[in-house]
Amino acid sequence: MSSPPPPLGNNGLLKNVHRFVAAVAVPLAAAALAAAARLLPPEAAAAGWLRDARPVHLFLAVFLPAAAATVYLLLRPRAVYLVDYACFRTAPNCRVPFSTFLEHAKQVPALNERSIRFMTKLLERSGLGEETCLPPAHHYIPTYKYCTLDAARGEVDLVVFGALDDLFAKTGVSPSAIDILVVNCSLFCPTPSFVDMIINRYKLRSDVRSVHLAGMGCSAGIVSVGLARSLLQVAPENSHALVVSTETITPNYYVGSERAMLLPNCLFRIGGAAALLSNSPAKARFRLRHVVRTLTGAQDSAYACVFQEEDDMGNVGINLSKDLMTIAGNALKANITAIGPLVLPASEQLMFAAAFIARKVFGGGRFRPYIPDFRTAFEHFCIHAGGRAVIDELQRSLGLSDEQVEASRMALHRFGNTSSSSLWYELAYIEAKGRMRRGDRVWMIGFGSGFKCNSAAWECIQPAANAEGPWATCIHRYPVDIPDVLKH
Amino acid sequence: MVYEQGEEVLPGAVHGHRLSTVVPSSVTGEVDYPLSDADLAFKLHYLRGVYYYPPGDVTRGITTKVIKDPMFPWLDDYFPVAGRVRRDAADVAAGEGGHPPRPYIKCNDCGVRIVEAKCDRDMAEWLRDEAPGRLSQLCYDKVLGPELFFSPLLYVQITNFKCGGLALGFSWAHLIGDVASAATCFNKWAQILSGKKPEPTVLTPENMPGHSPAGATAPRSVKQVGPIEDHWIVPAGRDMACYSFHVTEPTLKKLQQQAAVATGTFELVAALMWQTVAKIRGGVETVTVVKNDAAARSGRALANEMKVGYVEASGSSPAKADVAELAALLAKGVVDETAAVAAFPGDVLVYGGAHLTLVDMEQVDVYGLEIKGQRPVHVEYGMDGVGEEGAVLVQPDADGRGRTVTAVLPRDEIGSLRAALQDA
Repeated sequence: MSSPPPPLGNNGLLKNVHRFVAAVAVPLAAAALAAAARLLPPEAAAAGWLRDARPVHLFLAVFLPAAAATVYLLLRPRAVYLVDYACFRTAPNCRVPFSTFLEHAKQVPALNERSIRFMTKLLERSGLGEETCLPPAHHYIPTYKYCTLDAARGEVDLVVFGALDDLFAKTGVSPSAIDILVVNCSLFCPTPSFVDMIINRYKLRSDVRSVHLAGMGCSAGIVSVGLARSLLQVAPENSHALVVSTETITPNYYVGSERAMLLPNCLFRIGGAAALLSNSPAKARFRLRHVVRTLTGAQDSAYACVFQEEDDMGNVGINLSKDLMTIAGNALKANITAIGPLVLPASEQLMFAAAFIARKVFGGGRFRPYIPDFRTAFEHFCIHAGGRAVIDELQRSLGLSDEQVEASRMALHRFGNTSSSSLWYELAYIEAKGRMRRGDRVWMIGFGSGFKCNSAAWECIQPAANAEGPWATCIHRYPVDIPDVLKH
Repeated sequence: MVYEQGEEVLPGAVHGHRLSTVVPSSVTGEVDYPLSDADLAFKLHYLRGVYYYPPGDVTRGITTKVIKDPMFPWLDDYFPVAGRVRRDAADVAAGEGGHPPRPYIKCNDCGVRIVEAKCDRDMAEWLRDEAPGRLSQLCYDKVLGPELFFSPLLYVQITNFKCGGLALGFSWAHLIGDVASAATCFNKWAQILSGKKPEPTVLTPENMPGHSPAGATAPRSVKQVGPIEDHWIVPAGRDMACYSFHVTEPTLKKLQQQAAVATGTFELVAALMWQTVAKIRGGVETVTVVKNDAAARSGRALANEMKVGYVEASGSSPAKADVAELAALLAKGVVDETAAVAAFPGDVLVYGGAHLTLVDMEQVDVYGLEIKGQRPVHVEYGMDGVGEEGAVLVQPDADGRGRTVTAVLPRDEIGSLRAALQDA
């Protein structure tokens, strides 16, 4: 189905004017060059060559470089910018303290003493705080009894529409100016789709390019950003793309007692973020530098490490394998290898290459692998708050300081694992703390089922003016000291 | 899909119960709320209070969300109510005495239980019926235990009647506060709902476990039971029920005229009940009296500060005595045992334990629970965990001129009571 030709409007007219001007400028420049040659004193060597050259040579001498420059400029991918973003501000009437969570779990018939003890130990060591939130349907006893489609849509209303209202208010952009809409939500795929819910609610235009990315896991936020970027690069100038990252928890409570599958129940909490991207730098706050996606699904162990399946009793849940950390580490290494050349300064790259060659030539034992110092490439790090172990592992692998992983740890403490939107909560933390400066570079690392490791590199153009956002009411209490074992 | 599977609904019964939890809106932190001796004396009793709101535009707008939302900030002020009972592992005296360690409240924000239910009858019809036991249908009748550490201290039941009327049923563990504390607590919630800023809640100074010397035997007002482990209810040998009825203004005037001197309304109504029960049962020479003295309260938001005492009918049997005589006795002849009851180390039943218990709720502002300006049309407070001797709660009525009386008696005595009241 071919789309209708884009309206000519101002953009089209201007483009044609530019082309006309360019078409006229080149011959004029050639003529000017020839005229200048006549004026130069005869002794200058260049003057001699110019006088001898035929007009067609002069024309080519100017035209070819100009053409090459133009082609290069046209074929270079357009820059994509982040105008602003907004995260769902969790409401105190969704709060679930530890004791409440465990008391409710005790009322679930499928869970026995052993399962409850396991969940208790897990929660105590998880790095989550006492302010994380669950959707209203999960405040009932038993937790899964009233998780209807209506309740799931209610959660979307609360979380996604809340974030979108915030975003439209912040940016002053009207919903009718949105050209592209990308939503990622893994486990809730209603009909009509998630994007249609947003289109219906905000009355978006009939020609909006909308996509819902389902099932892509916790790293899907960066996948959405990458897709929006690709669409913006071929869209007309001044286009806006709305990227919504969320995970709807209501329909996904695991009702069984298999321990590896109880983890998501304990760690996942509600959250969502909406980001407005554009291909014009007007009013933009960040510039998107790189998006690097690494998929390791070709290996069986990586493919199966986060696996949705039925347990022995037929209850559907997500099974997390024991070697999750190892697989995450490998995926991270692959991603680093891909993004390193794009972001690291030449010095680091040379050292990495030298160490790599040395290991190959002299054998792996004598030389330890060189871990490039990514602090030379980035000022801020947003690591997916998948769980305490993930953040610990990444801090170790990348050699990061406590302050650099602080955003991830605090986001995990305050909001829990909010899946794909956790990166945006972490960015909001850094900005709310006033640590973002113009020119600072941010690295967002997402992990998710597949097993995927995706990275996005941003550069700050304009830091946030104030601490408004999900951290507004609590940033003064952070950072907190997160104990190894939480007492409750 | 959600069905109400397998639930056989008796016509007119309250059904469709949905349980959820409401927690304080901010983190309380690691706070322990100590229980005083007076608190622990009442641990086997549970207040059941129902507030009825008539159908209308205001009531129609009162959805579950409207009721729940103000509870989050309300519980910030009343965070002990959202806690759970724990036992003090460091209680050395307990280990030596062989009884379980001293309980206290761990303020872990676990929350208050909310129950949503429906009734297919009209509220006016329900009230007219004056059925005994209707209180237990509108208040979730759970107690502390058998899982003591996971038992909520407060249940709030929201019952929607077919006509659009609304009943709010509060199930309150007496150990956290007496009826005056409970009523004030609920009123504060209503103030938050209406957008008013309630007075600050005073929870300090902390309850101090008392160290006054304890007597070897229980005071006369109460009955020793137990020892109680983790299920804080004494199963009464007989099935108890709450029966609420109205004492009209003309009746009160008549009683007043019969009295030689000016007597308080509580004394008159309580004396009437004393006499009636004595006629039904025979005996009842002594009664326990629990009074609320507003002037003597410390101002703490959660406290058990009712005065407990007993009265002995001298000489003639109460069944034959004059109401005025009994009323005079209740006014002047009460032997106060409040301190002794609190100091007694064993487990006791205060209400209905040793004797019929007469409870004075005159100064409790139950009709102050206005939801969006809508006053309740009727409020009744009963009790669970009452001993076989029974209890009578004398409380204000809707216009303040009559009285509402709730009698908590063995079910087989209720019929006789109704009959006796018809005659009176």
